[in-house]
Parts: sequence; structure tokens; C-alpha cells
Amino acid sequence: MVELLAQTGLNAIYAASYMSLVAVGLVLIFGVMGVINFAHGELFMLGAYTVVALYADFQLPFLFAVAVGLVFVGVVGLGMERALFRPLRDNPLGGLVASIGFLMILQALAVMGFGVRMEHVPPVTQEVIVFSEKVRLAVPRLFVIVAAVVLLTALWAFLKKTRFGWALRASAQDPEAAALQGISINQTSRIAMFIGAGLAGIAGALTAPLVSVNPYMGHSVIVSAFIVIIVGGIGSLEGAVVAAVAYAFVHTIVTTFWDGVIADIVGLSLMLVVLIVKPTGLFGTADRA
Amino acid sequence: MLTTILKNGLTRRKLLGATAAAVGSAATASLLPKAAFAAGKVIKIGFLAPLTGPVSAWGKPGLDGCQIWAEWVNAAGGIKLADGNHMVEFIGYDNEYDPAKARTGATKLVREDEVKFIMMLGGDTWPGAQPVADTTGMLFSTLLPSDLSPDTTTLLAPAEVHPIYNVTGVEWLAENKPDLKTAVMCAQDDALGLPSVATYLAAFEAAGIEMQDAPLLFDPATTDFAPVVTKMLSTNPQIVCLDTAYSDYVHPICEQLFQQGYKGQIISCTADFYEQILEKTSVEFMEGFIFQFPDFDDPALNADFINFQEPNRFYEEYSKRHPGEWGAVSWEYASIMDLWRAAAEKAGSAEPDAVLAAMKEGGKGKHIFGDAEWWGKDLFGIDNALVGNWPVVVIESGKARIKGFKSIPEWYAKHGDLMKKHMAAYGQMWNQRT
Repeated sequence: MVELLAQTGLNAIYAASYMSLVAVGLVLIFGVMGVINFAHGELFMLGAYTVVALYADFQLPFLFAVAVGLVFVGVVGLGMERALFRPLRDNPLGGLVASIGFLMILQALAVMGFGVRMEHVPPVTQEVIVFSEKVRLAVPRLFVIVAAVVLLTALWAFLKKTRFGWALRASAQDPEAAALQGISINQTSRIAMFIGAGLAGIAGALTAPLVSVNPYMGHSVIVSAFIVIIVGGIGSLEGAVVAAVAYAFVHTIVTTFWDGVIADIVGLSLMLVVLIVKPTGLFGTADRA
Repeated sequence: MLTTILKNGLTRRKLLGATAAAVGSAATASLLPKAAFAAGKVIKIGFLAPLTGPVSAWGKPGLDGCQIWAEWVNAAGGIKLADGNHMVEFIGYDNEYDPAKARTGATKLVREDEVKFIMMLGGDTWPGAQPVADTTGMLFSTLLPSDLSPDTTTLLAPAEVHPIYNVTGVEWLAENKPDLKTAVMCAQDDALGLPSVATYLAAFEAAGIEMQDAPLLFDPATTDFAPVVTKMLSTNPQIVCLDTAYSDYVHPICEQLFQQGYKGQIISCTADFYEQILEKTSVEFMEGFIFQFPDFDDPALNADFINFQEPNRFYEEYSKRHPGEWGAVSWEYASIMDLWRAAAEKAGSAEPDAVLAAMKEGGKGKHIFGDAEWWGKDLFGIDNALVGNWPVVVIESGKARIKGFKSIPEWYAKHGDLMKKHMAAYGQMWNQRT
């Protein structure tokens, strides 16, 4: 039983890691720009396909492909901000609708570029850290955990310690007041979009060898991410991380001890309970809820 | 433009030569007698399956296989009916595994394209197409006999008796590795996974293999299979059964089994693109992996009882055109067309009712893996599944090889009650489905 619990804990830490990367990016975009980016799952998918193209097809180093995935998807995010979200800034539903359209475009582009089949990404390494006979952690999963810790710590430091970070937080709290203080809303939106999209991109890139890469892989990710940000509180980065960890542990434990289908029901029930008891989410504020 | 072409390496002589050859070919073609098939005599066959989307791996490769089949048949003179020879043309419609799109597609194929036969993957999409079949009398085929019911007499399952053939893999396993006595199973919770769960449960019970836990069901949207595998391995099973899962699940589950240190037996309905699993695990890990779908370069398919034209050449041609895309369904729709063609030529007509009558005449048929019988009243309420032998395939030294053909009717004659018991428990009997 101890080994089972330990292995379940490792599984949950991995799930929490990549879910945190995706959810924090989604929250950052919403917090600063007020846009619910439905195409966020497809940004995750783009990151995965970057690895397919560079690492699997062109056989470039995996970490290089991951780095390109972060930057490339971040740049796609910049394009979304400029072409989709900025012109629709005054339209509360415009950004949401535009993101839904964009996700379909990204899916179609992936289908056109790579086909509808599941892409094969060779393993980065087959090394496994063996804690005991039944407690093991594959090194590629460790990459994801380490990357999540490093990137989220760096993001925290960026937001707390730098001028750009203060500007982002100010824009998230009160865009009009921030603008009156001379903070460029366009610039903070660009930064938020680059970071948010880049986080989704690197999550997709890092997990590409571990999941089935196909044009529709973003769907399951975005559903879980929405549960996480609703539970954590829409707009709260801390809430997203805490909720990602909680959701991952609950889902993993219920799957391991009961059933994967029951785990989904429990996850959704958790979201409903939070919405009923605290509609703003665990860390949310009434302004953005 | 011509200058550019010439600059890029095509000499004037080559160009003139090619032009002359093209003109000559056209002239020759126009002078040939129209003996092979009269102009306009084309039989259209509908291919209504997921060609894009997550389930496309069980649709698109089938259409690719059918195109090769059509080319070969047309090159050999086409379908010989009472009014002469006819070419075959496949009309594809992508239903994206969506019932509503399946209905639209079925209507379009029948009304606009005037097809004579529609092949489907079935499953979740069959309820969409069923009203079209019922109102038009169009002949349909499905790969999933769990779609069959007495409500639609024009729906056939002529190639794949999914999931009933899975019993053959378990039976072979019990005969050849009798020391393996405990098993666990996981499956996606959908129309494909559940009847297969019931089948495997029946097969394991018949073989005296004990299930250590209830089958672990997971959401079809699952991407991380580590918790699923952790749970399965927690009981130290000798056999892990992957049920009938899409390759999007089989591959990561196998990888997780490998990473979490499993060294026992694996049995699965499919192992599409197993070379990729080998790359993610190891030849040693995959040794002895049992599944149900052979590569068609297998020498065992050259036996006299195999009813498929040149399986090895078909595999070679398919692999040349679609490298790395050979899968479970690459040959199945083509094999259905073999059966349909034989029936149409026997009836002298491509009309659905005539073909259906010819196909089911005498209650026997030529299934790809040998003589078979129209069967299924017990499970599906109608004898519209063509059932006979099915191959058991084992991976040996990194290559899938047929280890034998086992009889499904013989298994069912002995253990049919077990099958009905488990199918009923999972709500999969034809009269339980809504």
C-alpha cells in the first residue's frame, strides 16, 4: 500500500506540473486581458507539434525543440493579441468568440500540415528513476516536473520583482487605473499573451513524447484547465497553481483507487461545490468573477 | 513558362518526345474498342467513416485500402453483372465519428451519389445512419456487429465480428501459456470498449483465468495513463488486457507499463503501428504481445483458405503508398468489397436487395479468413454477422506473426452462455441497447 501511495503521489505531481503550466497561462491571459482564451488547448497542441517537427522529423535536440516550442507559441500568442484580441478589446464576448474560431483554424492547420494521424515522437530517454520495485519515475516525466517548478518560480519572481511584472499585476487589478499611471495596456497585453501562450506551448512540447500528439489533443487539456481555473478563482495565479495541484491529486487518487470515469465526475463535482460555496473560486475576487 | 521549363533541365528533344508520346497515347486510346466497360457504367460505393478526427485511424486507412482494391478490380475488367462490366468508384464521406454527420452523409450518398452499398465503421455513428437504412432499404456494412439488431435487416457485419473474435486470443493464450492465471483489464468507457470488456471477461472466465479486479474504465479524453497503469499493476497481475482501445491509448499505456516495470503478458485487440510501441519500449518488453490483426506480409495468409487477393502484394502496395500507416482496418473494408463483389456477380445485379439475398444464400459465406456462417441471432437478434475463424497474432522478435486461426463458432458453442451473461451485465445485448 505504501508503494502504491508513493507511485500515486509521483503520478499526481507530474499531472499537477503540466496542468499548472497550462492553467497559469490561461489565467494570466484572462487576468490581464479579460479574455477567456478557448484556443489555449490548441496552443498546447502547437507546442507538441513543434517537437514533432523539430525533434521527431528533423531530429534536432529535444531541448532545442522545446525551447523553440516556447518561443514559437509565444509569438503565435503575440499574433493573437494583435490580430484578434486587441481589436475586440471593448467587446466582452468578442475575444471569446474569436478564440473559438482561432482554435478551429489551428486544428485545421495541424490537420493540413501533419494529417489526422497520431504522431510518433521517439522517447527522449528510456531512463527510469527506480525508488523501489513499484515506485518509479520516468526521466521524461521528471523533465516536466522540473520545468514546471523552474518556470512557475521564474514567473512568480518576474511578477513580484520586476517593473514589467508590476505593470502586469496593475493591469490585471485595474486596467483603467494602470493606464492612468502611464502603463501601456497594449504592452502588458503583449507580455501576458506571450508568457501565457508560451507556457501552454512548453507544456505541450515537454509532454509530446508522453502523450498522443494529434490535432485534437487540446480538447481534453482545455477542459481540465477550465476546471482548474474555476476552482482556483478566475484571474488568480496562485489559485491556478493550488487548484491544479488539488485537482491533479484528487483525479489521480480517485483513478487509482476507484475509476477514471468516477475521477472525472469527482473533478466536476469539486468545481460545482466550489462554485456553490465560493462562486469566485478559492483565490478569486469579485471583480473578475 | 516554356523557357523556364527548358532552363530547368527539360531539353527540347525530351519535350517533343513526351508530347509525341502523349498524343500517340491519346490517339491509341480513342481507337481502342470499348470492350472492357461501357462508358458510364460505374458502380458507386459509399464510404461513410471518420476520415478526420480522433477516430480517423479506423476510417481513412480503410478508404486507402479500398482505392487499391478498386484499381485492381477495375484493371481486371471491373464487376461483371448481367448487363456487362462495371467499374467501381468509391465515394468517401467524412462523418468525423459524429452521428448527425453520419446521417447527412448517408442521405447524400443515397440520394445524390446513388451509391449501391455503404460501408461504415459503425459504433456511435450507426444510430445516425440507421433511419436512412430503414427508409431507403440501402445495404450497409459495419465493422462493429454490436450495431446489429433485428430492426435493420440491411445492416451486415461481414468482415469484423468485433469484439467476439477477441475470445480467440484468450483461448490461444490459455492453451499456450497455461501457467498464467490472473489478469487485469482497462478500457475506455464507450461503445467500442464496453462490449469488448464483456467479451474478454467471458473469454477469461472460460479459460479459467481469474480477474483480479473489476475492469478499470477510463474517460475517452484521458491523456495521462500513469494512474490507470499504477492501479492495474497494484495487484501483481500475470496478464494485462488492453481491451479494444484506439492506438492513442494502447501506445501510452504500453509505454507506462514499460516505465512502471511490468514484465508480464499483454493481450490486446489491436496493436496498430506497433513498431512505434517497440521504439518507445523494447523488443524484449513486447515479446509475446498477443493481438488480433495481422500484417498482410505474413506468409500464413497465403494459405488456400484465405479469401483475399494477393494479401502480401496488397500489403506491399499499401505500405508503398502510405508508409507507416498500415493498421487494423487497412484491409477490412477491402475484404468486405470482395464479399460484396462475389455476391453482386452471383446476383448479376448491384441492387442492394439482390446483393443481400445472394450474399446470405444458404447461410454461408466466404470470409477473408475462410469459410464462415451468417450468425448472431443470440447476441444481436439477427444472423447478419459473418463468423468463422480469426487469426491470433503474436509479436516475436519485434514482428507480428500469425500463430494460428481459431474458430469463433466453436468457442461460442461451448461458452456462449458466458458471453451472454457478461454482455447482459454490461448492457450490451441487442435488446438492451437504446
